Amino acid sequence: MLTWLQANLVNIVIIAIILLVCYFVIRGMIRDRKAGKSSCGGNCSGCSGCGGSCGTV
Amino acid sequence: MAGIRIALAGNPNSGKTTLFNALTGTQQFVGNWPGVTVEKKEGKVRGQKDVNVTDLPGIYSLSPYTLEEVVARNYLIDERPDVILNIVDATNLERNLYLTTQLAELGIPMVIALNMMDLVRKNGDQINTKELSRQLGCPIVEISALKGDGVDEAVKACVSVAGGKMMPQHSFSGAVDHALAHIEEVAVHDLPEERQRWYAIKLFERDEKVLEKLNLSQSVRDHIEKDIQAAEKELDDDAESIITNERYVYIGGLMKGCYKKKNKGQMTASDKIDRVVTNRWLALPIFALVMYLVYALAMGAPIGDGGISLGTFLTDWTNDVFGGWLTDGSRSVMESLGAAEWLTGLVSDGIFAGVGAVLGFVPQMLVLFLLLCILEDCGYMARIAFIMDRIFRRFGLSGKSFIPMLVGTGCGVPGVMASRTIENERDRRMTIMTTCFIPCGAKLPIIGLIAGALFGGATWVATSAYFIGVAAIVISGIMLKKTKMFAGDPAPFVMELPAYHVPSVGNVLRGTWERGWSFIKRAGTVILISSIVLWFLQGYGSVNGKFGNVEELYEDETVATEEYKEAKAEQMGVPVEELSPMDDSVLADIATPVSTIFKPLGFGSWRPTVATVTGLIAKENVVGTFGVLYNYEAETEDDELDEEGSQIWTNVEDDFNKISGGYGKLAAFSFMLFNLLCAPCFAAMGAIKREMNNAKWTWFAIGYMCVFAYAIALIVWQLGRLFAGAPQIVGLIFALAVLAFMLYMVFRPYKEATKLASR
Amino acid sequence: MKTLRDAKIGDTVKVVKLHGEGAVKRRIMDMGLTKGTEVFIRKVAPLGDPVEVNVRGYELSIRKADAEMVEVQ
Repeated sequence: MLTWLQANLVNIVIIAIILLVCYFVIRGMIRDRKAGKSSCGGNCSGCSGCGGSCGTV
Repeated sequence: MAGIRIALAGNPNSGKTTLFNALTGTQQFVGNWPGVTVEKKEGKVRGQKDVNVTDLPGIYSLSPYTLEEVVARNYLIDERPDVILNIVDATNLERNLYLTTQLAELGIPMVIALNMMDLVRKNGDQINTKELSRQLGCPIVEISALKGDGVDEAVKACVSVAGGKMMPQHSFSGAVDHALAHIEEVAVHDLPEERQRWYAIKLFERDEKVLEKLNLSQSVRDHIEKDIQAAEKELDDDAESIITNERYVYIGGLMKGCYKKKNKGQMTASDKIDRVVTNRWLALPIFALVMYLVYALAMGAPIGDGGISLGTFLTDWTNDVFGGWLTDGSRSVMESLGAAEWLTGLVSDGIFAGVGAVLGFVPQMLVLFLLLCILEDCGYMARIAFIMDRIFRRFGLSGKSFIPMLVGTGCGVPGVMASRTIENERDRRMTIMTTCFIPCGAKLPIIGLIAGALFGGATWVATSAYFIGVAAIVISGIMLKKTKMFAGDPAPFVMELPAYHVPSVGNVLRGTWERGWSFIKRAGTVILISSIVLWFLQGYGSVNGKFGNVEELYEDETVATEEYKEAKAEQMGVPVEELSPMDDSVLADIATPVSTIFKPLGFGSWRPTVATVTGLIAKENVVGTFGVLYNYEAETEDDELDEEGSQIWTNVEDDFNKISGGYGKLAAFSFMLFNLLCAPCFAAMGAIKREMNNAKWTWFAIGYMCVFAYAIALIVWQLGRLFAGAPQIVGLIFALAVLAFMLYMVFRPYKEATKLASR
Repeated sequence: MKTLRDAKIGDTVKVVKLHGEGAVKRRIMDMGLTKGTEVFIRKVAPLGDPVEVNVRGYELSIRKADAEMVEVQ
């Protein structure tokens, strides 16, 4: 068992890193979805993309 | 004083948002007003204890007609904030004060923030702020929201008036005041004194919502009605107009006393620019030229290769880095560390290849966003809506429908949400449906990849994508407006044109960075996960009955026998030598049958199919998927790296040529068009669902986009083949039929609505 | 009856009365086009519609069809 671990240490570490990254990414995405953040950078106040005419008649 | 609540109110374009940001910094919270799709912004005021500010929607008046106005006035009446901070654009004083008089009538303590005073002084005009403040009966603080001047004083003023009383100082002419006094006596005398005025005026105007709210008895209503009619008779006008007139008359008087204008009727710099830019004949060609330049600079042929694009120039470099170095580099690092082969594959050929393919396009995106931000910030885009209004009117939309299109060039989600400014329900739905045709930031890598891999980075590919998007919207508008579902009167279009101003470096850079950053973030999240999943699906499958890593299985000749390979090659429609292990993967097995739908469009093969499907999650995924699926060592004779790209691009070019029978360019163009026009990403679909607020409409919108995309790609591919001299007869017939149908829908007679606009 | 729609570029006219009713009329009035107001016709858009006018010190663009509601002299 130990020799197996030793031989595959590199693999285990790399897989662990990948899993950790995935976990944080997915968690972040779920949080964003709950907070209603859109993909444009979070919210409409940050959206400078309408020439300031948001709410123009 | 515990917990002061400030309500920030003012006209659109008065600098309200800038002021709100200056007041709250990052301590903002954005949500929705309950029950409506109007945005609500709240925040804590910086540097103050327990002072909160709510940003009300930009409004011109407190009438009951638009959603924003109703939301604003309901907040003011029901929530009774402690102070109103009324931001007034000093360069537009009269019109802004129109709202001010209405706010004053509410009886809530008010402070006026007079914004853009620096511009007023620059023009040589003078405003006697002291006198104005005395006449209006409330403190006035001069501010420059942009520079941050005077903001602290404004806050202090708010804190000091909170808890006090505010009595409106303005009065109306005799007949009106008389009627109002009566109404106050009869209907609202039991309300607190400072509120009576506002209610009385609203009742005089026959304001529907107030009538509902107060629930007066019929006899009271009749009584009031008599008074109103008497006044109307005397002044020969209807009640609402009377009040509006009276306000402006009062404001006119104020102006005489406090406002000295320097040059009357002289052409400002803005006017001079407008003479050219919105000129009857030049405007549209200028607009076309401007957009052409924007896309040419961002994504056209690169500098040093016959073009002017800084974006492409940098992208070529980043693609080499992300595409080549990282992939190869990570592979050699992992191999030297002794990592397992499959793991190396996952990291290098999956993660780095996929994410790298997308990140490589960041330079092009940044350049494009930068240029678009500059155009928006200087005020040009507002002019465009003005120009486009006539064209849009042709098919019943207004220039207001154009604004979501502009916003959509960054991201489709705010573009869809910008449709809220359109009051007409049908027009709004139509705008929501077509906004996503404009290439958004996430679609740019698709354009960039196809342009780069198959067209040598030619400028026309990128610019055509934008104009085709615009054309799609126009054509869709025409077709839809002629159907019963959407036919109706064109919406009214009354819009204010802000003056041109030199784009603020801060705003532009911030806007560019925000959009760029969200793109990069998506690459590191959605694309990352996608690439991992895809890598597994394309790396594993069953070869001749055995399940496992397809590459390893292929190397084992006892499994991947000659007969098996030949049978597989025949099934896939490729010569045996070009068979790759990936063709046996789970992914290929699922996608190949699905890919038949795309055969009439020219790209009926499993890799483009997978890419298109993954594009639903996020459009950049199309490129990310290509990065993973086309990341193999080419087995063909042209085993050279494409000069401007990477191995991946070479493979894309080869594959498209293969699956299209030698018409790679045409197939790729058709593929690009399909992905640009078909259903948007999940996030955009979510936005559509929210704005439509109706499942049927949402599905209709998405379905429409897919069908439209299919039709266009079909026509392009089939007609292209026809002109190339190698028509596919069956497909061609269908394409011509579709084309004929579309032409009919566009050119059939339009049944004009007969009644005048009245809502 | 002469309306805002009939005015030519460069004219300065005075609003006499507003016809029509409802939200559009209210909107036009809210923007400052009321009885007795002076209006300067700044520009007519390419293709003829809408019209840009200067009223109460700022630039307003209004459709020709809506301008029909504004009676001027």
